[in-house]
Amino acid sequence: MAFLAGTIPAAPRRDFRPPVSASPLSTSGAAVWVEGLTKTFYDESRGEVHAVDGVNFQCRPGEIFGLLGANGAGKTTTMRMLSTILRPSAGTARLMGHDVVAEPEEVRANLGFYSASTALYPRLTARETLEFFARVNRYPPELVAGRVGELVHRFGLAEFQNARVEKLSSGMKQKVSIARTVVHDPPVLIFDEPTVGLDVINALEMQEVIREIRDEGKAIIFSTHIMSEAEKLCDTIAIIHAGHILASGSLEDHRRATGKYYLEDIFVYYVRDGGALPVGRSDAGGAAPGADGPTGDLPPSEG
Amino acid sequence: MRTSEILVIYAQELRSAVRERSIVLNSVLLPIFLYPVMFWLIITGVTFAEGLAEGARSRVTVVGLPEEHQEILDSLRATNVVEVVEAFGTRTESEARLARGELDVVAEFLPPAETILRLPGNFEVSLVYDRSLERSRRARQRVEGVVERYRERWLSREARGMAISREEIEGFRIAGRDVATQQQLGTMLLSETLPLFLVVMVAIGCFIPAIDTTAGERERSTWETTLTLAASRGSILAAKYLYVATLGVLAGVLNVAAMFLSLGAVMRPLFSRAGDQFQFSLPWLAFPVMVLGTVALALFFAAAMMILAAFARTFKEGQGMVTPVYWLALIPLVLGRGTETTLTAFSAAIPVANVAMMIRDAVRGVFLWPLVVETMLVEVGAVLLLLVLARTILNFEEFLIGSYNGSLWRFLRERFLLRRAATSVRP
Repeated sequence: MAFLAGTIPAAPRRDFRPPVSASPLSTSGAAVWVEGLTKTFYDESRGEVHAVDGVNFQCRPGEIFGLLGANGAGKTTTMRMLSTILRPSAGTARLMGHDVVAEPEEVRANLGFYSASTALYPRLTARETLEFFARVNRYPPELVAGRVGELVHRFGLAEFQNARVEKLSSGMKQKVSIARTVVHDPPVLIFDEPTVGLDVINALEMQEVIREIRDEGKAIIFSTHIMSEAEKLCDTIAIIHAGHILASGSLEDHRRATGKYYLEDIFVYYVRDGGALPVGRSDAGGAAPGADGPTGDLPPSEG
Repeated sequence: MRTSEILVIYAQELRSAVRERSIVLNSVLLPIFLYPVMFWLIITGVTFAEGLAEGARSRVTVVGLPEEHQEILDSLRATNVVEVVEAFGTRTESEARLARGELDVVAEFLPPAETILRLPGNFEVSLVYDRSLERSRRARQRVEGVVERYRERWLSREARGMAISREEIEGFRIAGRDVATQQQLGTMLLSETLPLFLVVMVAIGCFIPAIDTTAGERERSTWETTLTLAASRGSILAAKYLYVATLGVLAGVLNVAAMFLSLGAVMRPLFSRAGDQFQFSLPWLAFPVMVLGTVALALFFAAAMMILAAFARTFKEGQGMVTPVYWLALIPLVLGRGTETTLTAFSAAIPVANVAMMIRDAVRGVFLWPLVVETMLVEVGAVLLLLVLARTILNFEEFLIGSYNGSLWRFLRERFLLRRAATSVRP
C-alpha cells in the first residue's frame, strides 16, 4: 500500500503570493545557510558543554541534507536551533534569508518541523489539526479549506478526517503529522529522526514522502542515526560527532575520500578511527578529506 | 504579537478544552450543579436525620420530682416520644447510666436557689445530657419544652391564686424583636456565601485548564509542537492565558447564575423549614461589580496557576504545584468572613481578598467607588506583575524546553537570588 495517493500537492503559487515572506535566498542559492553555529549548555556535573560547536553547512532547494550522527552527537540541538526552539550561543543560521535569532517567527513560517517529540494535539480531529496548522502558520485563510481538502485526499485521510487524533492508529497519526508539517507549504522542512519508533513499512513510506517533498523543490534537513536511511535519501551527508561536523559531501564524495563503500564503514572511519582529512565541500564544517585518505577497504564494484 | 494568531490558538485551546471531560466537569458542570446538588443533599440529609431522630424515643430519668409537680411526668409521657425510665440509686449512678448510653437525659429537680423567686413549691431543674450525642441533645430539648410549658401553666395558676398578673410574678423578662426584613436576611446570607463561593469557583475553573495547557502539553509531547508554530512566544502565551482566564470567568458566572436559580427552588424552602424567611435580591449595580470582580479573579488565578503549573512536566506534578494557590487565596477570605467591616484602603490592597470584599459590599448595596477603583488597580498590577514574571521565565531556555527540574521557588532562588550565571541547561 502506498503511503500517498499521489504526490503532495504544492500550494497554488501561480494565483497568490505566499504569506511566508519570500526573502531572497543567500547569494549561494541556499535555502538554509548555517555558519559557525554553536550551542553551549550548562551541565551541573560537567560544567559548560559544547553540544554544537561551530557547525557550517548549506542546504539548497531540492536537496536533502542529512545530519548523520550517534545519539548525543548534536543533531537534535542543531535542528532545534534551526527551528528557533533553542537560541544559538554563537554563529548564524538563516532560513530563506531569515535569521533564526532576529526573525524567529518568519523562520518558523517558512519551516515545517517534524520530529518524534512534536506530537499532535490529541483532542482535535485530523481535519481541525490541518486547518489549525495552516492558519497559525500564515497560510492564506481563503485557501485553507482547499489546501486541507487536497492533503486529506492525498494522504488518504478522508475516512478519518473527522475522528479525533487520539483515536487514530499510529500509522494514521503519522500521516496527519506529515500533512500538518507540509500544510502551509513551507520551502524548508526539517525531519528530526522521523522514523524513530516506526515499523519497517511505515519507515519506508516516510522515506518515500520525504523524497517526494524533495522532488517538489523543497530544502530538507534530515537527521538520522540509521545509515541505510542516509544512504538512500540524502543528497548530502554530514557526519556529526561531539558537536562537530567531521565531514560533509555526497555519498560518492565520502566513498572517494575514505576508500570505503558502505556508509557505516565511512561513519566508523570518521567517528571512531578519527578519520584523517576532510571532505571537500567548501561550505562544510570541519575539514575536507583529501583524496589520499586510507584505502584499506576496497569498495565493492557498483551495480 | 498578532491578534489573528492569538485568536487561532485561543480557539484551538477552547475547542480542545470542551472535549476534555475533566475540564468540562470542573469548569462548567461543577459550577452549575454545585448549589442545587449541595442543597438537595443538605435537605435530604436533614430530613433523613430528622426522621430518624423524631422516631426515636428519648429515655429520661426524673430524680427528686416534688409530689405537687407530678403532672410533669404525665406531660412527658403524653408526648409519646419520651420514655420515663425509673431512677435507680443516686444521681451519680443515673449519670453513669447516661455515660453508658442507657439514658438520654437525667432531669433532677432541686430546691430553688436563694436568688430564685421564693414561691412555695418553686423548683429548679438540672438537665444532665451528653452534648456529643444527637439523641441526647434532642431528649434535652424535649424535656426542656415539657418542663417550660408546665412552668408557664404553674406560674399562671400561682399568679391567679395571688390575684396578681402573670408578668408581676415573673419580675422582669427580656423580649427581643427582630427588625431585619426578609430582604436584609437574604442579603446577609448572600454576602457571606457568594464572595467565598465565587472565589473558589473561579479558582476551580482555572485549575485544570492552567495545568492542562502547560504541564499537560509537556506530558502529551505537544509543547515542542506549539513552540514550532509561526506565532510569536508572546502570542502563544497570550492565547493560553486568555483561554484559562475565560474558563475561570465561565465557572464564576455559571456559579452565580446557578446559585440564583437554585435559591428560590431549594434554599428558601430549606430556611422556611427552620422558621426563617429570606428574600434574595441584589441591587442592580452589584452585577457589573461582580462581573468586574470575576474577570479580575480569573485573570489573577490564570496567571498564578499557569506560572506554577508550567514548571511541572506531568499533569499530576502540576496539580501538586498549583494546589497551594487555593489555600493562599482562601486564607484572607476565611479570616475576613463574618466581619461587618467594609472595604478599606488597606484591605483593597490585598489581591483576591479585596475582590471578595468588594463583591460582599456590592451585595450589601455598599459601593465605595474610590476603593473599587483601588481594588481593580491592585488586581491589574498584580496580574501585570505575574505576566512579567511569566514572560521572564519563558525567556529561560531550560524552562522553555522542559529540561528544568524544579519548582518556581527554586527557579527564582537560583536565577534571581543566587544569580547563577548559567546560560542554559542541557536539554
